[in-house]
Amino acid sequence: MSPSRKWVRRGVVTAALALVGAALFAAFGARSSGAAQTRSNGRPANKIVVLVYGDAQNPVEQYAVNTYNKTAEGKKVKAVLETIPGANYQTKLQTLMGSSNAPDVFFNWGGGSITQFQKAGLLLPLNSFMKANPKLKSSFLPSILNAAKIGKNYYGIPMRGTQPVMLFYNKSVLAANHLTPPKTWADLLSDVAALKKGGVQVPIALGGADQWPTLMWFEYAYDRVAGPSFVTDALAGQSSLWKTAASNKALADLGQLINAGAFGPSKSWDSVYFTKNQTAQMVISGQAAFELMGSWYYSTIQSQSASFAAKSLGYTAFPSIPGGKGNLNDLAGNTENYYSVLAKTRYPQAVADFLTVMYSPTFVKKELGLGNLTTTTSTPALITGTTAPYLKYQYSLIKKAPAFQLSWDQAWPQTDSNAIHTAVAGYFDSLDAGTFETAMAGLKPAS
Amino acid sequence: MAALAATSRQRRRKSSGGLKIGRPSFLWSLPAITFFAICAIAPLCVVVWLSFTSWDALGSPAWVGAGNWRTLFHDPTLRNSFKVTAILTGLGIVTQTPVSLLLGVWAAGYQRNRAILSALYFIPLLMSATAISIVWLSLLDPYYGLPHELHWLFGNGFFEHGYLFSYPSTAIGVLTFVGMWQWTPFHTLIYQGGARAIPQVLYQAAAIDGAGRFRQFLYITLPQLRNTIITSVVLMLVGSLTSFDTILILTSGRPGISTTSTSYYMYIKGFQQFDFGSASVIGVLLVIVSTIISLIVVRASGWDKMRSTQEGV
Repeated sequence: MSPSRKWVRRGVVTAALALVGAALFAAFGARSSGAAQTRSNGRPANKIVVLVYGDAQNPVEQYAVNTYNKTAEGKKVKAVLETIPGANYQTKLQTLMGSSNAPDVFFNWGGGSITQFQKAGLLLPLNSFMKANPKLKSSFLPSILNAAKIGKNYYGIPMRGTQPVMLFYNKSVLAANHLTPPKTWADLLSDVAALKKGGVQVPIALGGADQWPTLMWFEYAYDRVAGPSFVTDALAGQSSLWKTAASNKALADLGQLINAGAFGPSKSWDSVYFTKNQTAQMVISGQAAFELMGSWYYSTIQSQSASFAAKSLGYTAFPSIPGGKGNLNDLAGNTENYYSVLAKTRYPQAVADFLTVMYSPTFVKKELGLGNLTTTTSTPALITGTTAPYLKYQYSLIKKAPAFQLSWDQAWPQTDSNAIHTAVAGYFDSLDAGTFETAMAGLKPAS
Repeated sequence: MAALAATSRQRRRKSSGGLKIGRPSFLWSLPAITFFAICAIAPLCVVVWLSFTSWDALGSPAWVGAGNWRTLFHDPTLRNSFKVTAILTGLGIVTQTPVSLLLGVWAAGYQRNRAILSALYFIPLLMSATAISIVWLSLLDPYYGLPHELHWLFGNGFFEHGYLFSYPSTAIGVLTFVGMWQWTPFHTLIYQGGARAIPQVLYQAAAIDGAGRFRQFLYITLPQLRNTIITSVVLMLVGSLTSFDTILILTSGRPGISTTSTSYYMYIKGFQQFDFGSASVIGVLLVIVSTIISLIVVRASGWDKMRSTQEGV
C-alpha cells in the first residue's frame, strides 16, 4: 500500500470515528438536557431569582430584595438578585428565558420587549395578584400599568422610573445667541438658523452612530403631525398608514430640519455615538446647543461634568407642530421598567409579596434619590433633594400628558428593532421617504 | 473465562511484540479525536440542523426545510457581506504583509536598540481587540479626536472632512488601519522568528560574491521566508474571515451595510433579530468557504508538501 493511500484510509477512519463520537455526544447531550428539564419543572427549592439590568441602580434593587427577605414569607423563600451587566440585556434575557435557568422575576420595558414571551406562554398574568391585593394596582399610575398590559391581562409591575424624552439644551449657548427654548417647530428652525449664524457648528447634537437617538426625532415628529393614534394603529397592523399624507408631512418636516444643517453636515452624525459620551461632550463644550434624549441624559451629563449639569443644563418639552393632530403635551420615551413573572415560578406567593415592595415609601424614596421618576401615586409627596426641580418638572409633564408613546423599538417586537433602526438612520442620510415608508409598512404587527 | 482472558492476552502480546516498527497505535489519537468531535463536529452538526429550522431561542426550533437557504440566497445584504469580507481580507493582507515583513527582518537583527524598539512595538499585541477599538474610536472622533486637531490633514474630501465613520470608503479605511495597527506586531513576530532561522552562511557567501543589502534581501531572505509568508497569510485569511469585534465596536457594520462582513451579519441575524435559523445558514456557509479557501491556499502554495527551504545548506 502506498503511503498516501494509507493516509487517506486513516483520514476516513478518523472522520468516521469523529462522526460516531459526535452522534454519541449529541444523543447523550439531548438526554442530559431532557433530564435537567424534568428536574427544573420543580424549579430550585426555597428560592426565587430576580433578574435585573446590571448598572449603577442595582443597590436599590438589592434593597428591595433584602426588604422582602426580612418578611415572614421571605424567611421561608429567599429572593436572590442577579444582574446581566452590559447593554445587551434583551439579547441575553431572550436566550435565558428559553432555558431551564429562566428567572422567576425579571426586568423589562413592557410592550414589545415581552410580547414574544407572552406569546410563548412564559408569563404569568398578574390579575390574580391584584385581586388578592388591590394595592398592587391602585398604587401605580393607570397609564403606566397599561403599557405592560396585553389583552385583558397585566404582565408588569413598575419598578424603576419613567423616562420621557425631552429636548435638552446648553443654557449659555442659547443666552449667548439671545435665544429662548423653542415652543414651536418654526421656533426650532429659526433657532437653528441663528445658531449657525452665531458660529455653532452643530446646532443639534445627534448620536447617529447609535441609530436609536435618531428614532426619537421620528417618534415626536409623527406624534405632533399625525397624532398619538398613528403608532397604535400602525402597531395593530394598519401598515397602509405609513404611506398617508400625514406620514409624508412628518417626514418632510424632519427633512426641512436636516436640510437646514441642524445636525451638522449631511451624514456627519453617523460618526458620533451618544453611548460613548461623544454627543454629551459636544453639548457641554458648546459645540452643540441642543440634544433630544431620554431623562437619563441628566445623569449622563452629570457623569461628564457635575457643575454643568447643575448650572447650564436646560430642558424643555418637544416643540409643537401647528396644524398637526398631536398635543403639545404628548410624550414619547420609555414608559417604565417593569418586573414580569415567569409562568412556571414555583413560589407565586413569594413573588406576589416581593412585588409589594415596589410601592413601599422607603423603596420609592430610594429610587427618587437615584433620579428615577417612580410612577406610584405617592411619588409627588416624596420628591425631595437636589434633583427635585428636575423630577417635579418631569412629573408635571407626565401628569398632564394625554398620551405617552413607548419608543418604537420597544413597542414593536424585539425582532423588528433592527429594521426600525436601519429605516430611521437611512432616512436621515438619504431623505428618501419612499424607502422609509416601505420599510415601516413591512414590519410585522405586534401580536 | 480465565483461560479465555489468558489466551487473548497472549495474542495481544504477540501482535504488539516482534520487530514491526510503525506509528503509535491509533488509540493514542483518541483523546484528540474525542475533543475535536465534542467541540467542533458536534456543534457543527447542530448548526447544520438548525439552518433548516426557524428558532428565536424561545421554545423549540421548527423545521422549515430549505426555507432559510432560499431566502438568504436572494438576500442582497448577504451577497454584499461576502464582498465586504473579501475587501477587508484583501486590504488586510496587502497592507499588513509588507509592513510586518520589513519590520520582522529588521527586528531580527541582534542590536540592542532594535530589541528595545521591537519590544515597544509589540505592545498592541498585549491589548484586547475591544480596548484597541474603543481607543481608536475616541482618537478618530470628528469633534475632539485627530480629525479635529489635524484639520489640515483630515479636512479635505479624501478623508470626508473628518467624518470618517459616515462614509463607506473611509469606514473601510479605518477598519483596515486599525487592523493593521493591531495585527502587524503579531506577524512581525512571526517574520522575526523566520528571519532569525536563516543560516548566516548564506549571507556570508552572498557578500563574498558581491551582493548588496537589497540583493541579499531579494535573493536570500525572501525565498528563505517562503513558508513563513504562507503561514502568516493563512493566519490573516482565517482571522479576517472571522473578524468581528473591531467591526462591532468601530462601525457596527455601517454606514448602511458597507462594513457588514459575513461574520458580523451572522451576529446580527442571530443576536439582534433572533433568527437563529438564518444565522446558522451563514455559519455553515462560512465553514464551507473558509475550508475551500484554506484548501486552495495549501494546494497552490505547496505547503502540504512540507518542503524545506534549507535543502542543501
